[in-house]
Amino acid sequence: MAGSRSALVLCMDVGLSMSNNAPGEESAYEQAKKVMQKFVQRQVFAETKDELALVLFGTDSTNNRLDQDGQYQNITVHRHLMIPDFELLEEIENQIQPENSQADWLDALVVCMDLIKTETKDKKYDRFIIALLTDLSTQASSEHLDVIIENLKQTDITLQFFLPFPAEEDEDENGGRDADRRGPGHPGTGKGLTSEQRDGLDMVKHVMLTLDEDEGLGEIYTFRNAIEQLRMFKRIEKRPTAWPCQLTIGSCLSIRIIGYKAVTDEKMKKMWVTVDAQSNQREDVKRETVYCLDDDNETEVQMDDTIQGFRYGSDIVPFSKVDQDQMKYRHDGKCFAVLGFTKQSLVQRHHFMGNQVMKIFPAKDDEHAAVALSSLIRALDELEMVAIVRYAYNKVSNPQVGAAFPCVKQNYECLMYVQLPFMEDLRLFTFPSLENNKKFTPSESQLSAVDSLIDSMMLVEEEEDGEKKDLFKVHQIPNPAFQRHFQCLHHRALNPDTPLPAMEPWLKAALERPEVISERCKAPLGDVKKQFPLTEVEKKKQLKTSAQIFGKDSEEPDAKKAKGDEEEGEYNLADIAEGSVTSVGSVDPARDFRTLIKQKTLPFGEACQQLTHRIEQLLSNKNTHYYMKSITCIQAFREQSIKLENADLYNSYLQSLKRSIPNRGLGVFWDLLVQVSCF
Amino acid sequence: MAEWNAYYRNDGDDEEEQEEGEQSGGSYKITGRDSLVFLVDASKEMFIKGEDGQPSNFDMTMQVVRSVYSSKIISSHRDLVALVFYGTEESKNPRNSFKHVYVYHDLDEPGAKRVQEVDALRGDEGAKLAAKTMGSGETSLGDALWCCANLYSDIKLRLSHKRLMIFTCRDEPHIGDSTKDRQARTKANDLKETGVIIDLMHLMKPGGFDVAPFFRDIVSPPEDESELGLQLEPCNKLDDLQKRVRAKELRKRTMARLNLCLGEGINVAVGMYATAVTAKKPVPIRLYRETNEPVRSKTRTFHTQTGSLLLPSEIKKSQTYGKKQIVMEKDEVDSIKKFEDPGLHLIGFKPMERLKLHHHIRPAVFLYPEEDEMKGSSCLVSALLTKCSERNVFALCRCVSRRNCAPRFVALVPQNEQVDEAKTQITPPGFNVIFLPFADDMRTLDPPQCPTASDTQVDKMKEIVSKLRFKYRSGAFENPVIQQHYRNLEALALDMMAPEDIEDLIMPKVDQIDRRLGPLSDEFKDMVYPPGYNPDGKPAAKRKTAENGGGAEKKPKIEVGVDELKAHMQNGTIGKLTVPVLKEACKQLGIRTTGTKKQELIDALTAQLGS
Repeated sequence: MAGSRSALVLCMDVGLSMSNNAPGEESAYEQAKKVMQKFVQRQVFAETKDELALVLFGTDSTNNRLDQDGQYQNITVHRHLMIPDFELLEEIENQIQPENSQADWLDALVVCMDLIKTETKDKKYDRFIIALLTDLSTQASSEHLDVIIENLKQTDITLQFFLPFPAEEDEDENGGRDADRRGPGHPGTGKGLTSEQRDGLDMVKHVMLTLDEDEGLGEIYTFRNAIEQLRMFKRIEKRPTAWPCQLTIGSCLSIRIIGYKAVTDEKMKKMWVTVDAQSNQREDVKRETVYCLDDDNETEVQMDDTIQGFRYGSDIVPFSKVDQDQMKYRHDGKCFAVLGFTKQSLVQRHHFMGNQVMKIFPAKDDEHAAVALSSLIRALDELEMVAIVRYAYNKVSNPQVGAAFPCVKQNYECLMYVQLPFMEDLRLFTFPSLENNKKFTPSESQLSAVDSLIDSMMLVEEEEDGEKKDLFKVHQIPNPAFQRHFQCLHHRALNPDTPLPAMEPWLKAALERPEVISERCKAPLGDVKKQFPLTEVEKKKQLKTSAQIFGKDSEEPDAKKAKGDEEEGEYNLADIAEGSVTSVGSVDPARDFRTLIKQKTLPFGEACQQLTHRIEQLLSNKNTHYYMKSITCIQAFREQSIKLENADLYNSYLQSLKRSIPNRGLGVFWDLLVQVSCF
Repeated sequence: MAEWNAYYRNDGDDEEEQEEGEQSGGSYKITGRDSLVFLVDASKEMFIKGEDGQPSNFDMTMQVVRSVYSSKIISSHRDLVALVFYGTEESKNPRNSFKHVYVYHDLDEPGAKRVQEVDALRGDEGAKLAAKTMGSGETSLGDALWCCANLYSDIKLRLSHKRLMIFTCRDEPHIGDSTKDRQARTKANDLKETGVIIDLMHLMKPGGFDVAPFFRDIVSPPEDESELGLQLEPCNKLDDLQKRVRAKELRKRTMARLNLCLGEGINVAVGMYATAVTAKKPVPIRLYRETNEPVRSKTRTFHTQTGSLLLPSEIKKSQTYGKKQIVMEKDEVDSIKKFEDPGLHLIGFKPMERLKLHHHIRPAVFLYPEEDEMKGSSCLVSALLTKCSERNVFALCRCVSRRNCAPRFVALVPQNEQVDEAKTQITPPGFNVIFLPFADDMRTLDPPQCPTASDTQVDKMKEIVSKLRFKYRSGAFENPVIQQHYRNLEALALDMMAPEDIEDLIMPKVDQIDRRLGPLSDEFKDMVYPPGYNPDGKPAAKRKTAENGGGAEKKPKIEVGVDELKAHMQNGTIGKLTVPVLKEACKQLGIRTTGTKKQELIDALTAQLGS
């Protein structure tokens, strides 16, 4: 089904009446424009192959194929059918404006139908849609209504209406059957409709009901509802790929199956590309990795002169890629083989591994496989057991061990496969008991405080009709990371020079505790607060982070801070790797200093400053042991200065040190220094 | 983050690292290496074999040491491990200042050779070797501890975690010599003061092992004054010992310390621990061909034209959507991901049955209170744990595990403490944190409408299922890929002719299954499959027709007229034409095109027809 796409024509009324607005309300024009913007935006970021055209009516000028003999006037084909892009968004933003004419919306519809007819031939589409955004204020001539409807039916075009007022106003008032869906207080409902609008609406209803008797009116939306529905960026959708295989039990029994990823940790499709800041060209930036020996000169070696090796504990074993491929674990490829069956309760939920759940169905159009698989699913379901299976996606992927759970739903059955841990994956930690520790045992009153807290914060409630209602369905919330990402991209695309916008309020609200719960849990929370004294423990001096050592300003924006964090991480890694250092410590300052210079962790000047600071500290102790330590520092200082051919700092420090000797009573030290070193 | 990855040895390429990092999350402040000293009693008593050919205590200990060595090599090769015997006849220690203490392995990273050397001490041969090289003699635990203290102080690296495990079956090693007892106590205290944690792995002794008279003062007090620290029962099984050592050998590391906010300013300090992380084959290291020394890699970003190095400020990040390039600063890219500071926010509670099996997107982590950060945390978490499990509900929280990380929702599932008969903890008390999918993570599937099985068919399958029942245990299977890799390395490191064979535990034991099922599988097949049905056969029918008919019947050529082309150009819809159509148009107009790309064709046409 690759390449399936739809063709959609947005047909917007920009005529005179659209810009009318009641005080304090947005005009129909503004609302319709928003609907279009949101819609196109979603299309652009979803990167589907769907194509889109834009027709405006009520324009002062006329530009369409049917323009002849004063027919089809004031209708403009603004954009032909093509994949929507930012150009279109910018045009909607900047070029489209309310105009002073009026046009018949049925004429506009005909123009749209003609556009679809002429621009979609020779290519395959699986859906045609025309969306009309209008206030229906213009008298439409119903002469050819039947012909139009017949044509729509023949060409299989879906028609959608977006209006400033609900189509079923009367029902709203009477029974409120649809009150939920329509929402309260639509503009226009209060002040009533003009006679043109009433006629228009009747005609719209007639058209829609003729096209689809049952669901027709469902395709009439209000602007307000549409905006609300469209504010979310489209969720990332991927066409599930089928994985055909055979489920085997022993060597004799196999069932043809087909697997699909059902739940997976979805990632953003696109990656950021590094570009040159001036030209914005990615071609201008090149990344290159070079290898160098770990010697003082950092001698570079060619990639060809390196081989591959692996660590085996303290040993490094050279192991070429060829050898590795030859000796590596091999298996027979794709498989879904049952190792045995076990109680469901023995497979622990928190031991699920990997980041996906796969649903296993019988092979397509194979009812025998369906029956065989169904027996397995039902047997497992009734016995409350699971199959432990060996799963390999294909020959080059690593095999896994996992569990296939039975899943019996009202309208389908399947197995659900989840990966389970290998021995190497598990880290079994022991934690001190909470129950058997008298210090932590909660009292009766504390327990009952928590009890009422849970009562007040239950998110699943039983409604009057016995139905259970979940107030917070996580799997229906769009991933906020994606929403925010697209919001920022969209903003930057249209406003290149302005800072990124704040988070959208609806997104923020969607992540918060529901209002009802917040209200309800206030008192129980207060009680918990009273019952459980919590005091922050004064932190013992923590290991300094590199940020603190380098005196990084803590007021820096967060993004910067995070960077600092990353750096810290790298240092830690290096720390493990080579026992390396981030500053001149007091234990072995000379060694630290050498390492810092070698690894260029710090600028030379800064390292020197830290070293001389240590020397001064050591000298304040007036003890031969400390004198000797200072001397090794000075030697290191000298040696590194010579190596880097930068002796200024060393010379000036030594001179100032010499000057201060008499005052500080460090004669003994100086004699020692002269003795040990041979300047 | 980097450290975390290093710990699990999956610091692969950037991308992967980032992803992994996100999953395991968290970074920790403590740096340095972990260390572990095995202090093993080598007295005669240790070599006495058990009844029914049970291995001796010494043999058992060596097996455990061996398994710790090899698991360290795989999972945390940077940890330092030492093996010291006491109560030996011979002495071997750095300055040879201690009699009857034999340092078999100095504190160092375990390598292939060491594994071999420990192997040599296993079994009957091992006992002989031990008798020959070390022998059994007088015991002075004080000296042995002192010697271990020296091992620690000789290490120049920063050690972040020091643990010493005593393996013995003698509860009164100095048989009433109070001077030696006192000396041992003093030395033990000295060690504990320098941050060494001393554990006792006491082994079976006829008449029972009494911890009270001597060892109670030697070992470190248990964490947080719980009763669990001191295992009162001695180990008599290899499995038990292994479990006990395993549980202690690994250092618990938090991936994140967070506040769990209940609302109204009630914050509880909790730690998140990764208890299940996919172990991966390690990344290769590049070595210099001539010397086999590791080389360092440096990555540089430079300007293609000028060749000058680019500073971070000279590069930006971009993505293209709807034909528009959107550019942002690196800082902005990072800031987009930021929603709030790291932490957990309680949303509410739901009954356990609302936690769907298939709501799984990444391995769970474990949550335990951090009393050291916030006093009172343990009590409140304990109360929550008691009530949640009593009422069979889970807590739903919004969770940001690291800075600049987007929120996820998690289910905190209560887990009560469980211990086995030997009082070893099987499951710790706390909450399992299950990550929940967002709408984007749920794929829309179209489940096929299929016939279902009849009761007799289901019953037959039930028989099959019951025949193949077994007791699954988490982590019972080794990863054949990783095992093979390390066997290969081992073989190369030790100059072995061929790597040791591995047993692929996740391979179905087909013969056994067939034997157990007997006629059942045929009976089942007769019930569900019609005669002649071959489930292994490939559905090749469709392919064939495609092959037969496909080749000859090419799509009819589509031609467009010049006018139509012009119209497309004016409308800006020329991009919609397909490449063959455009090519054909070029041909018709006599335009020579070198390119085959769509844009090149369009450009050529536009140039020809003008506008």
